Amino acid sequence: MITKRLLTRVIIPLCLLFIAQTSLAQKTISGKVTDSKDGSPIIGASVQPKGGTTGTSTGTDGGFSLTVGNDVTALVVSYVGYGTMEISIAGKTTIDITMSADAGLNLNEVVVVGYGTARRRDVTGSVQSVKAKDFNKGVIISPDQAIQGKAAGVMIISNSGQPGGATTVRIRGTSSIRSGNQPLFVIDGVPLSGNSARPGSTGSGIGSTPGTNPLNFMNPNDIASIEVLKDASATAIYGSRGANGVVLITTKRGQSGIPTVEASVAGGISSIMKKLEVLDAAEYRAALKSYNLATGDYGGNVDAMDAILRTGFTQNYNASVSAGNENARYRVSVGFLDQQGIVKKSEFQKLTANLTSNFKLLENKRLGVDLNVFVSGTKEQIAPISNDAGFTGSLIGQALQWNPTHPLYLPNGDIWVNNQIGNTTVNPLAMLEAYDSRLNENIILASVSPYYKITNHLEYKLLYSVNKRVGAGKGELKRWINIEGIQNRGAAVLDNGEDLTQQITNTLSYNREINPNFNLNAVVGHEYMTFDNRSHGMFGFDFTDAGNLRYYDILQYSTQTSRGIYVNPGIEDQLQSFFGRAIMNFFDKYLVTATFRADGSSKFGANNKYGYFPSLAVAWNVTNEEFMKGSSFVNSLKARLSWGKTGNQEFPGGAPLGRNAFGQQSIGATNFANPDLKWETSTTINGGIDFSILNDRLSGSLDYFHKKTEDVLFEQVIAAPGPTGGKIWFNIPGNIVNKGFEISLYGGLIRSKDMNWNMGLNLSFLKNNVEGILGFYETGALHGQGISGATSQRLVSGQPLNSYYLPIFEGIDKATGQGIYSGGDPANNKFYVGSPNPTTLLGFSTDFQYKKLTLFVNLNGNMGHKLYNNTANTVLPIGNLGTRNVAKSIIGGAVKEDASNPITPSTRYLEKGDFVKLANATISYAVGKVGVFRNLNISLTGQNLFVITKFTGFDPEVNTDKNVGGVPSLGIEYTPYPTARTILLGLNFSL
Amino acid sequence: MKRYRILIVCSLILVAVSCTKLEQKWRGAIEQGQDIPVSDLLRSAYNGLNNPMMDQSRFWAAQEHTTDEAIGPTRGGDWDDNGVWRVLHAHTWNADHGFLRDTYRELLQAQYSASNVLQFSPSATQAAEARFLRAFTIFLVLDGWGQVPYREDLKDFKKFPKTLEGAEAVSFIISELNAILATLPDGPAYVANKDAARVLLMKTLLNKGAFLNKAAPTFDAADMNQVVTLADQIINSGKYSLANNFFDNFTWDNDVKSTENIFTLYNKDGDRGGNVRSRWFLGLHYNQNPSGWNGFTTLSDFYDKFEAADTRREQSYTGVTNVSGLKVGFLVGQQYNQNGVALTDRKNNPLAFTREVKLKETGANLEVTGIRVIKYPVDYTGGDQADNDYVVFRLADVMLMKAEAQLRGATGGAASALTIINQIRTKRGASSLAGPATLDILLDERGRELYWEGWRRQDLIRFGKFLGTWQEKTASDPKNLLFPIPSEQLAVNPNLKQNPGY
Repeated sequence: MITKRLLTRVIIPLCLLFIAQTSLAQKTISGKVTDSKDGSPIIGASVQPKGGTTGTSTGTDGGFSLTVGNDVTALVVSYVGYGTMEISIAGKTTIDITMSADAGLNLNEVVVVGYGTARRRDVTGSVQSVKAKDFNKGVIISPDQAIQGKAAGVMIISNSGQPGGATTVRIRGTSSIRSGNQPLFVIDGVPLSGNSARPGSTGSGIGSTPGTNPLNFMNPNDIASIEVLKDASATAIYGSRGANGVVLITTKRGQSGIPTVEASVAGGISSIMKKLEVLDAAEYRAALKSYNLATGDYGGNVDAMDAILRTGFTQNYNASVSAGNENARYRVSVGFLDQQGIVKKSEFQKLTANLTSNFKLLENKRLGVDLNVFVSGTKEQIAPISNDAGFTGSLIGQALQWNPTHPLYLPNGDIWVNNQIGNTTVNPLAMLEAYDSRLNENIILASVSPYYKITNHLEYKLLYSVNKRVGAGKGELKRWINIEGIQNRGAAVLDNGEDLTQQITNTLSYNREINPNFNLNAVVGHEYMTFDNRSHGMFGFDFTDAGNLRYYDILQYSTQTSRGIYVNPGIEDQLQSFFGRAIMNFFDKYLVTATFRADGSSKFGANNKYGYFPSLAVAWNVTNEEFMKGSSFVNSLKARLSWGKTGNQEFPGGAPLGRNAFGQQSIGATNFANPDLKWETSTTINGGIDFSILNDRLSGSLDYFHKKTEDVLFEQVIAAPGPTGGKIWFNIPGNIVNKGFEISLYGGLIRSKDMNWNMGLNLSFLKNNVEGILGFYETGALHGQGISGATSQRLVSGQPLNSYYLPIFEGIDKATGQGIYSGGDPANNKFYVGSPNPTTLLGFSTDFQYKKLTLFVNLNGNMGHKLYNNTANTVLPIGNLGTRNVAKSIIGGAVKEDASNPITPSTRYLEKGDFVKLANATISYAVGKVGVFRNLNISLTGQNLFVITKFTGFDPEVNTDKNVGGVPSLGIEYTPYPTARTILLGLNFSL
Repeated sequence: MKRYRILIVCSLILVAVSCTKLEQKWRGAIEQGQDIPVSDLLRSAYNGLNNPMMDQSRFWAAQEHTTDEAIGPTRGGDWDDNGVWRVLHAHTWNADHGFLRDTYRELLQAQYSASNVLQFSPSATQAAEARFLRAFTIFLVLDGWGQVPYREDLKDFKKFPKTLEGAEAVSFIISELNAILATLPDGPAYVANKDAARVLLMKTLLNKGAFLNKAAPTFDAADMNQVVTLADQIINSGKYSLANNFFDNFTWDNDVKSTENIFTLYNKDGDRGGNVRSRWFLGLHYNQNPSGWNGFTTLSDFYDKFEAADTRREQSYTGVTNVSGLKVGFLVGQQYNQNGVALTDRKNNPLAFTREVKLKETGANLEVTGIRVIKYPVDYTGGDQADNDYVVFRLADVMLMKAEAQLRGATGGAASALTIINQIRTKRGASSLAGPATLDILLDERGRELYWEGWRRQDLIRFGKFLGTWQEKTASDPKNLLFPIPSEQLAVNPNLKQNPGY
């Protein structure tokens, strides 16, 4: 009912309001579009009357001529890489337009906001826009990696070095415990579910393998710009899905003009960025001697880490054709990426084929259709590296702890499987050989969006999208590997997953300069989405080797009693929403944005089906005040203030209702009714300033935010007695508060015909705190030898999320060689000793161009947090001496650690996580026109060239998933896939 | 014209947005309250006991590691596990202990699963079985923690359970068992049966004094006579006899071979079961077959309570010793494979288990310290799931309880008690004791007979010895007579209060 009431009250009056439409005389306007940097003409830029339907594009001299109605007050000019601008033509018949490819804030630029666009000068929210030319360069598999370090307040870390591996993206800190902290990604108006169809399990015997990034299906080469929406004024239009921030991805479009082909070819090599320091054979022998150990020297001299690593080759090909006229435009692209991992038998391949098109129909061109299709296939081969390997380890742990004096091969050349070190020590080469796991995912994201201009200012738009993903996985572990449960048995698994998201969105938008003193940009809409995810699989044990056949190809050969099947049928979730937004500009000085969204979700409890998310923001364009007129110092200055509520509903569907689930020959309750369950709410206050000074040489933004998350969703243990694994979803008491300060600066140090030098810097200071929750929740599981069941982190009031709770290590006792801990036995003396949440985020980029040569450098860093080195803790302890390898750092110190000192989790392995990374540096040379090739450009890119840190693990940019019962962890390293350093040579050109 | 067009579009939007109900679409689950097969629920209730009873880190650890029978030494890089094993043996645990937390929760989960059967119109027999399982879990939680949360409403989990304590809990168990005794089936052992209910009644009566006051238990003569009466009903039924081979009670086909077992938890590869194989994995060295976890041991003082001839201490066992060289019982000294070849440890030293062991091992031989215990003969036949049914109640326990009741005032007295003790000892190959029988002698015999079966803590508390000293443990605080209520449960159930001293 609320629907109809809302509609009759909002939409109908809006419709009626604009019926009185007058038709006036026409005028012709002409002009030229040039590049602001060197005055060169911009060819093929699109020029359209604002609110109009027919436009033109600039010729080879950059010139254009267009007939428009007398009521048209502005032109909309756009060109790839230069963005979109709105130029006032009031009282003019000729106009020269300069466009800038600079990343600086251009206030006339049109930016994408949720469900529409707005002039940047009208934006009241905290929105950061990153254009394609400013993306990180090199091997970029997913779009989020392209903007790492580019936006203030946004932390993006790769969880490991695995090609295509998952990333942790946090906009303005972590605000939720259980309901997901990744932002909402929206591609050309299509919000993604965040789900993947890639099966999770990839074979038994080694624990759970890390996930991949659900955005891998996108080809970053197809993206024109990425907007990060940070405060509630910007995100409230996404209501119950906006609390973690929203990332809008806009893909490249066809431009008017003759067909243009753009192509690029790149090839590169990758090798490990940093190796961990373990003993080599000579050092190992010396250590055995100093510890008086008679055994442990097997006479060889090997480096097991080198044996599993390789130089990985990467190749990347992209080609696109785009063309169009005023009535039809298209862009078709294909891309292929093949990245070999630096660990043997690991690889990521991606094939993409995309079409974006736009058609204008009917005689009056008022009907338009956008049709976009993204098709993508990814193929992965996975190395046997897991998040939670135990005593026998997974590949990286096995290689690190392999005794450097024990040959990897038998004298006859076979891999030495049943080695002399002991039957629980696994030869990493044997592991590579015995394990085979392959995953693939095929994805289609298609959307069709007809729109009709009812009047020049009023537009109705329908968007229908479907995102279908299907995934399959297969894995085997050979019977001859000496892993308990697998040895003499063998294991194989086949998994399948599918994911379907559908969306219907209706919007009605009104955008008009009603009079010179009042501009209104309004949108109302309705959206209905369904989400559906399911998976199933089967596994079996007890194979006998039949030639070299893969066990997963002969799964039926397993023994009957060892087989198992599972089905996760999932639940179809639905989301229905009503929303509206009005952006009002008074006198070009005072801006007001009001947003409202009502979300009804099948996930919410019966008593709270709908959630309501309002936001209000004001801004003041100070530069347009009389007293600022004539200021040569300040080019623009805008102050913003916003308040709003956003929600988070990323908890599993079905949580509010009690239900019974089926196990093998059993049935039992799995979920318990909480009909009061509702979304989690974040209330954000944001204050900010955008400025541009010194002839736009220096521009930037300052923002302060305070974000308080309430009604925190948590899956709480049922007060016993409850069913097995019995948990119930609650909105628990307590808050999570994130507050912080962000600075973005962009400066043009040198601007001349031959030489240009730009610099961008963003810096964020974040603070996170948990308030008012009862008791505590444990997470941050530690794994490996000797610490079964140990955890390292807690969620508790008065501390940041995921605070470390550990014994304090005071050193090694000189007399006994045993560890000393504050308060005595570390089992009973633990303390809160720091947080894995960075308090400072840094991004720095610069580009320097001299004639045809350009240098780009991007640095990023996180500071003020601690990382737990689970690898050092359990994989390389002193007790290994005599059998396995140990960390170099624990041998030869002033105090000799006794070989029996236990593996105790403590602050000994808690390290400062501060780092600054040279994420990528590129030198490119613009050759220009060579034969038929235009814009020929050669570039050389280095990724992960160096990292400055005191962290002793592979890479301080790490987040191994160590959740406990679904409570996420942060900042723990455990034998992850090592990070690669990549050198890439690229060539691109157009035809 | 224009007006007309706009109105059409507006009404189209209205049609497009007609409300959906936003209802969940179920596929792999059914909403609670719908009919589900009771037999499956009952099976789930039995399965609910598997993990808390059989896993090495649950109830068994709480009952054995805290006593003179078992220790989990930290062996350099192995088995530190954040000190969880050390604090159990040293009696220094606190309310954050992960394994005690999980034991409490899982036992109560088992209670819930049993109660859940009763909601779905079970047959009279099914209801009786479920009520037995529920009474059993209440008994175990009462023993460990003194406070038993109990739900009367199994539908709304937002409500807080009430707490059963002391006399109320004891009388609840007793009245339940008396109510179902006649309805329970006669067997087999892996189904809740009449004799299992009798044993649980005996245990409840015997421990009633301790449940009411753990620091100073008293024993009511009427209760003790009742224990004897119940024991006689079992002993004289003719269904049970002491096994010719002690270890047949625990072997992989003990459901057929044992003549003693009264109540067991069913284990069968490819069917169902629990982590019974941990009973041998946790002690066996890495280089033995199967490759074990080289963890827990017993203590030499306890080992020394056995005579050399006692078959419960060590013997070869067909299907084990001829396969891997392993013996059953206690493993001490050099270990061999099936061909008599001496085994070595990971550092190539002889794999010879030492008598002595410390809570925190620091020596060069830390891999091989301590006497290992193989009470369950290794099942080499199956896959991951061993077939040995897990023994909960058996005849020898019943006989020793009868003897104890007689020592505590029941008719028959010390003379009858001595007869019973010697009856068992003779069967096990040990010499007969001269007497007179005392409580100390009886406690020692319970240790020798029931070692590592999960009763030691309860016994030591009942005999007033739990806070005393033994190897690697000093005298401990009376608070340790009860485990702490886990922090996890205190945070979600205001009807619980922390036990004194924690």
